Amino acid sequence: MLDASLVTWQLADSAFPSGSYTLSHGLEGYAQARAIDAGAVAALLDDLLLHAIGPADATALALAHRAALEDDWATVCEVDARLHASKLTRETRQASLRIGRQLLPLCGEVFPSPQLERLAQLTAARTTPGMQAIVIGVSYAGAGVPQREAVGADLFAFCSSFAGAALRLRLADHRTAQLLLRGAAPAIEQATSAALLRGPQEIGGCAPAADVMSARHERADAKLFAS
Amino acid sequence: MTTNDELLRVGIGGPVGSGKTALIEALVPTLIARGRTPAVITNDIYTLEDAEHVRRELDGILDPARVVGVETGACPHTAVRDDPTMNLAAGAELLDAFPDVDTLLYESGGDNLTLTFSPALVDLFVFVLDTAEGDKMPRKRGPGITECDLLVINKIDIAQYVRCDLERMQHDAFAVRDGRPVQLTNSLDGTGIDALADFLEARRGALSAL
Repeated sequence: MLDASLVTWQLADSAFPSGSYTLSHGLEGYAQARAIDAGAVAALLDDLLLHAIGPADATALALAHRAALEDDWATVCEVDARLHASKLTRETRQASLRIGRQLLPLCGEVFPSPQLERLAQLTAARTTPGMQAIVIGVSYAGAGVPQREAVGADLFAFCSSFAGAALRLRLADHRTAQLLLRGAAPAIEQATSAALLRGPQEIGGCAPAADVMSARHERADAKLFAS
Repeated sequence: MTTNDELLRVGIGGPVGSGKTALIEALVPTLIARGRTPAVITNDIYTLEDAEHVRRELDGILDPARVVGVETGACPHTAVRDDPTMNLAAGAELLDAFPDVDTLLYESGGDNLTLTFSPALVDLFVFVLDTAEGDKMPRKRGPGITECDLLVINKIDIAQYVRCDLERMQHDAFAVRDGRPVQLTNSLDGTGIDALADFLEARRGALSAL
């Protein structure tokens, strides 16, 4: 059966309307500070995967996926709240929330499942914020995509969005963007494996330089991206 | 989210500098004078200049909190058509904060003639050209010009100074649109703005009747 893979390809596709093309995932902040050049983009992506997105969003996604399948909605809400609290800057918190809230009804329509219905009830009642990683994790769970594939696919989608931002910021061209994406595979693998082993209390990245860049970016006079 | 039953969502697109922001700044006071409660979402390409300009020009007329800017990640087309997620989110947040809003104006980041709006984002869209771009513009067609609900030709006051044959421009605009509406405006003195507001009200009425 290809169905679970088809769901994965659709949801992780950059054409899936998640608004992620409006995010640079911190890259524009680095570019504005002249703290990065084309040669360092791959290293920054690896660092973000291993120390920011992996311990935060990917871990939350994995935990929400498992908890949704176990019908453990208290844990889904706890994971959602912890992920929300772990995002230090307004722009990263707001982006995740905005995307999560828009994705939830869309995923509910495209990939309907009892799990997504339950999450929609909880967010409508404002019991839980509905961060992007939680909505994606529950979507994958409800559609029968295994946990490891779900985490890996979402990290790939993050890298694809990051590579697109690098292209528009002229830190990559069409060729090096694809090399960047393929080169991220070992870090995606490592971040996925680590995410599957963490518990709710371990949610949260530690990337102080990225947080500083994001804090400066959200106050910048001119910018292309929302983060 | 609570929304007004009569909510009308209007996209306003067009090339850079054609006067989209000025049109909104002229339209908003007219809508308010008619008892409407508008709000504005601007899709700025790089800065929040448009949002700040609208807030400044409408100071004392429109609560600045009812004007919101959205970053488009260098993809202004995508933000209002292919993937309007962030604009939908901005609209939902505005309506959540101000449930009395009955007219939501989405100004696109200035772009080329192929710009159109997603029907999931707006109920109708207005495309704004101006005379300084030259009277050849309607003949270039492009989905923005041919598919919009109303084509505005702005800055009619300067046509004579920029070698624009306004009569021909209007004639060609009707021709490429198979006679569908074209409105001449001068946003700075208000020419044509009442007619634009009438058009929106007529569409609101038609949509409410569905």
